[in-house]
Amino acid sequence: MDILHLFWNLVPVTLVQGLTYALIALAIMIPFRILSVPDLSSEGVFPLGAAVAAALLSAGAHPLIATACAVAAGFLAGATTAMIHLKFKVHSLLAGILTVTMLWSINLRILGRPNAPIFGIETLYDWISPEILRSLPLQITVAATLAVALVLALWWVLQTDMGLGLRGIGANPQLAPALGVNLVLYTAGGLGLASGISALAGALMAQSQGYADVGMGVGMLVNGLASVIIGEAITGRRTLLRQIAAPVVGAVVYYQLASLALALGLNPSDLKLVTGLFVLLTIGWPVLIGRKVSGAGL
Amino acid sequence: MSSTDARPALTLDALRLTFHPGTPDERVALDGLNLRMNEGDFAVVIGSNGAGKSTMLNAISGALQPDSGRVLFGAQDVTDLPVHRRAGFIGRVFQDPMLGTAPALSIEENLALAQRRGLRRGFRLALGRGNRQRFADLLAPFGLGLETRMGVLAGKLSGGQRQVLALLMAAMQKPRLLLLDEHTAALDPGTAELVMQATRRIVDEGGLTTLMITHNMQHALDTGNRLLALNAGQVRLDLDAQAKAGLTIEALVQRFGASDDQLLRA
Ligand SMILES: Nc1ncnc2c1ncn2[C@@H]1O[C@H](COP(=O)(O)OP(=O)(O)O)[C@@H](O)[C@H]1O
Ligand SMILES: [Mg+2]
Repeated sequence: MDILHLFWNLVPVTLVQGLTYALIALAIMIPFRILSVPDLSSEGVFPLGAAVAAALLSAGAHPLIATACAVAAGFLAGATTAMIHLKFKVHSLLAGILTVTMLWSINLRILGRPNAPIFGIETLYDWISPEILRSLPLQITVAATLAVALVLALWWVLQTDMGLGLRGIGANPQLAPALGVNLVLYTAGGLGLASGISALAGALMAQSQGYADVGMGVGMLVNGLASVIIGEAITGRRTLLRQIAAPVVGAVVYYQLASLALALGLNPSDLKLVTGLFVLLTIGWPVLIGRKVSGAGL
Repeated sequence: MSSTDARPALTLDALRLTFHPGTPDERVALDGLNLRMNEGDFAVVIGSNGAGKSTMLNAISGALQPDSGRVLFGAQDVTDLPVHRRAGFIGRVFQDPMLGTAPALSIEENLALAQRRGLRRGFRLALGRGNRQRFADLLAPFGLGLETRMGVLAGKLSGGQRQVLALLMAAMQKPRLLLLDEHTAALDPGTAELVMQATRRIVDEGGLTTLMITHNMQHALDTGNRLLALNAGQVRLDLDAQAKAGLTIEALVQRFGASDDQLLRA
């Protein structure tokens, strides 16, 4: 009873958390599902967004400018991953790992130290309304509005001629260039878009919690993957809108599940292991089933 | 055979293309190949396996870069242009029905994607502007019933349906050259016939200049107005409509003393 009470009390806070991290899940889904060029560089791009926003805010920049620059920095990081992948013929996952590794140093340079507080400086939230960070319902409203707006914007973009070109390179990378789609440009743009969203999440997280930390990306990746998997299990992938909404739905559910698990006594330091096993199980499920079938045949 | 001052739609000038140069696997696929295609030509290309037919089409599309020689559309030299920058000139259908369409996109999305071939892509809704209806009207004459299922994923279609869709996509935004690489070879005979009918219809209605590779001698004889035979990376035989009209399968086989695959060993 007590345990459930604890979980219940945390639901609103966890909801804000889930809606914010939903952006990272979105940023993981785009390369995987839309472009078929898996990229896991969120782990470095998320803190990059936080670092850029925090550094610029500390330097006196307007919160809008600071946030926009964070998004732009994320876009560049994503485009860089794409170029490493395409120009040096490195697998996109390895290209992403290289980007994350290099970003670690870059993020430290940007922040000047591992952890930088931005207390007492006007953030994007203060600028919109000082009330937001003092009221949970307002925070939920803002985070939900942003997540829904992003989903709808993506939904629209991916139905335009340009967006169809993006989906075209994901669906058939031989055909798309034959139809005049510039594979390098579109892949760079697509990964850039995804990383821009990751960086936005980082910039917002830094401004809501009041500090940026170079380590704040750790584990984001596996949480994001788990969110995408859960989301797709709930919404399915039958339509474009379902595919785009899946990461958001999944992130909201995942963070509540994680919170419940913690309330039930799961050691917080074991959470990553559990999440990792969960992802492994879902990804490995078809293989496990396949093995059984072929094993029976032997 | 061709008017002397008109520029050919396509000129292949001494194309040479070697795979794995300087290694024991070195293989000359195109050996100084020359070809002129006039506006409106529908040329059927035959030749044994490994003759260089697909490589020729890949050099035209830009998928492969020749070691030397030139590819010209009209007067424009496109030899150094990447695939996406010469896409506006070329429509293409492959042997593998998986290659010519995007399986994860719907029928109408595939057509919308193809409709912008060679054009700028902006932020306009791809399926707006009455496109849906236009695309359905485009498919209707082929009697596949696809015009009522425009939202179905291309990946759910049969091989023959996909090839017809791929043909329509290749013919959209009228290309200056249509490239067909054994596009009926993976289909059962009945379906192949259906796709050949669709091919003739699309080429005729669009007045498309076309290069069609086939291993089917019947199709080679009763399609198009020109017959090209490749061997060892060169055009060894070039028959116009008149010479082609007199040919029979027996004559082809007799003349070259071989079965289909051995056709040009003579
Ligand atoms: N990607 C490749 N790598 C190496 N050799 C190739 C490649 N593609 C084709 N070839 C070789 O080039 C020659 C011409 O092949 P191709 O153009 O595919 O012949 P065709 O289409 O007439 O059957 C063949 O000897 C073939 O083995
Ligand atoms: Mg071939």
